[in-house]
Amino acid sequence: MLAVATALDAKDLDLRQVSAALKQLKGSETIEIRHAASLHGFCAGLKQGEYDIIGDAGDYLGVLNDGATIRVTGNVGNYVGDNMTRGLIVVEGNAGLAAGVYPYGGTLLIRGSAGDFTATMNKGATIIVCGDVGDETATYHLAGDLIVVGNAGLNFGNFLIRGNLYIGGAFKSQGHNTRVEPLTKDDEQKLHRLFEQFDVPAEVSRFRKLVAETAKPFYGRIIKRRE
Amino acid sequence: MAVVGAFCVSVMKNACINAQYPGKCATCVEVCPYDVYAMDGEGQVSVQNFNACVGCRICAEFCPGNAIRINSAEPESITRALWTFPTVEEIHYKALTGQYILRGFGTMGPLPHFDSIVVVPSQIASPAPRDKYREDCKMDVVIGEDTCERPMHLQLPIVFPAMSFGALSREAKLALAICAAQMGIATNTGEGGLVPHENLYANGYVDPAREEKRWEPGGYLVMQWSTGRWGVSVDYVRAGDAVEVKIGQGAKPGMGGHLLGKKVTEEIAAVRGVPPGSDALSPCRYYDVQSLDDMKHMVTFLREVTDYQVPILMKLGPSRPYADVRAAAEAGVDAISIDGAAGGTGASPDIVTQSVGIPTIACIPPAVRALKDLGLHRKVKLIALGGLRGGLDAFKALAMGADAVGFGSAAEIALGCRACMACHKGECVYGITAQDPRLRARLDPEEGARRLSNFVRATSEEIKILTMLAGHSAVHELSEEDLRALDLNTAAITGLKLIGFEKRLPWWEGVGAN
Repeated sequence: MLAVATALDAKDLDLRQVSAALKQLKGSETIEIRHAASLHGFCAGLKQGEYDIIGDAGDYLGVLNDGATIRVTGNVGNYVGDNMTRGLIVVEGNAGLAAGVYPYGGTLLIRGSAGDFTATMNKGATIIVCGDVGDETATYHLAGDLIVVGNAGLNFGNFLIRGNLYIGGAFKSQGHNTRVEPLTKDDEQKLHRLFEQFDVPAEVSRFRKLVAETAKPFYGRIIKRRE
Repeated sequence: MAVVGAFCVSVMKNACINAQYPGKCATCVEVCPYDVYAMDGEGQVSVQNFNACVGCRICAEFCPGNAIRINSAEPESITRALWTFPTVEEIHYKALTGQYILRGFGTMGPLPHFDSIVVVPSQIASPAPRDKYREDCKMDVVIGEDTCERPMHLQLPIVFPAMSFGALSREAKLALAICAAQMGIATNTGEGGLVPHENLYANGYVDPAREEKRWEPGGYLVMQWSTGRWGVSVDYVRAGDAVEVKIGQGAKPGMGGHLLGKKVTEEIAAVRGVPPGSDALSPCRYYDVQSLDDMKHMVTFLREVTDYQVPILMKLGPSRPYADVRAAAEAGVDAISIDGAAGGTGASPDIVTQSVGIPTIACIPPAVRALKDLGLHRKVKLIALGGLRGGLDAFKALAMGADAVGFGSAAEIALGCRACMACHKGECVYGITAQDPRLRARLDPEEGARRLSNFVRATSEEIKILTMLAGHSAVHELSEEDLRALDLNTAAITGLKLIGFEKRLPWWEGVGAN
């Protein structure tokens, strides 16, 4: 079935006006939105629908997303996919700080690079970054998967509790409570499947995996930090 | 500083081995270098010279029967000042374990509090007192009246502040919700996610279809949006009647929530998304807020997510009340809770609970001034929290300019707590802060709610008595003219008029009456 696209120009509109306009468009399959770069908290708490943002998007895109599919052709600001629980967010460009922070589920795909604090406190989402990520990535990662095709900065996976951090490139330093492991057969299958599904040009054999050393790290004191 | 006779030495004869078997034990005689103890020819040990005791307590440490007690003869705060026995023991604890002291509950110790303020009754120079027994007093408060489609209409100027599921047991949370429904006030989820049916109970219903109201008039549930974001989804945010953005709390401003691993049961772990048995540590700040602009955007998207229906609140710790409240009001919230240093907690480092943050009475005046300077006083509601014990403290906070008050620790005590400060251990014998099913069974939510409602009723009557004897017929008419400071210190920090002097202290002139 052909998707029926409806367009909305968000120029000179504020968040409340744009959401009111979007509600009027309910029923169409895909909604195209332009000039959304100055809207912060856009597509918040949506349960369904497909939204294509042409150009850049602002901060907090898809916050509390609970089932909608959001695609952005340009770059996004900070905190994309904040506290998402279901759904899919695809960013063709780069993302700012703390992309995919606090999510419980869903998928976030960033084709470019992402900033510091990416996937912080991930509690179950799948987050794929095709470029590089910044420092303190996946701090206090509680569950879910982070896949970084490029390189990572300092303290990669600091205070990792659960979940898997897959990295194709290098990282400047490894965070507290992490251990590097080779991929298992299941991991390879999972990465193959995800790369195929989202059309990510990456070679699975290059990847390594970081897992938590213990589920109960001793807080308050860094016992040892390896370079 | 008395050196001679500074200590009382007592030996409990029923625990002393020598008293039962003379000559078999003389450890105290052997270890004491100052001849405090002596043994006679028959092998009987006695205290011969307690004046010589220096309080080293080596005898007590070595006594195999644990029969010796060494106490300071005069109050330790006078004779030993800095180095009291508890201080010494605390240093020993740190030296032995390498850990700082962690505990629950709130501040214990002298802080400027409401006790040094008195209420001024009405006589002839002011509007005559109102009759508490025969006249009405308006007690209700509306939060978000002009900004939201579903404002919170509290029947009393009282709320239960945020106490999380995890820190508190399910039973305690439900008791708070039922009491809120019975009294028409608001309770708060805290940062640990939603207890199943908590929102129904808080609104007065038991069945999910919301057909038959069990508790009249029905209250409200505030959903806390916190730095750990435990159990938060769009359904969570929409489940309640308001959303509270937590910035900090009085007991440990600048630190995030801390739930010790022992209290993280399977149920709590499932709600929070952490492994069972591991500490759930909330970050101290939002990872998704870097600036005040971000905070404004956060408030805006929370309004957007809740479809502009419910009020957005913000909870602040006691830091820089004027600047913080001003910033919070500018972020566009409907109500601001400011939690004084005397506020409570489930677990916090002892030093932080004791000595970090501004006391409650010093938080309210700057907060009121900030709202007045923005022209938002009584529009953006101010909720005063932090160690409030009853109607008297509540009245004083209201007269200083707050619109409502919160009872957290006092509500726990109304549920049966005895303030033993061991909330962090998860062994609460009254089932309030325990997660063990055996202990939780001791607290029945409906019975707890009955006690809480009685407490709230008595407290509201106290507020009413004081409001009416001060010549007012509504709590929002109260002003700082209804209060006087008892001492210079209180007058200096609150800007209240000093008794006798009947004026504000000179440096408060021109600052603006609260």
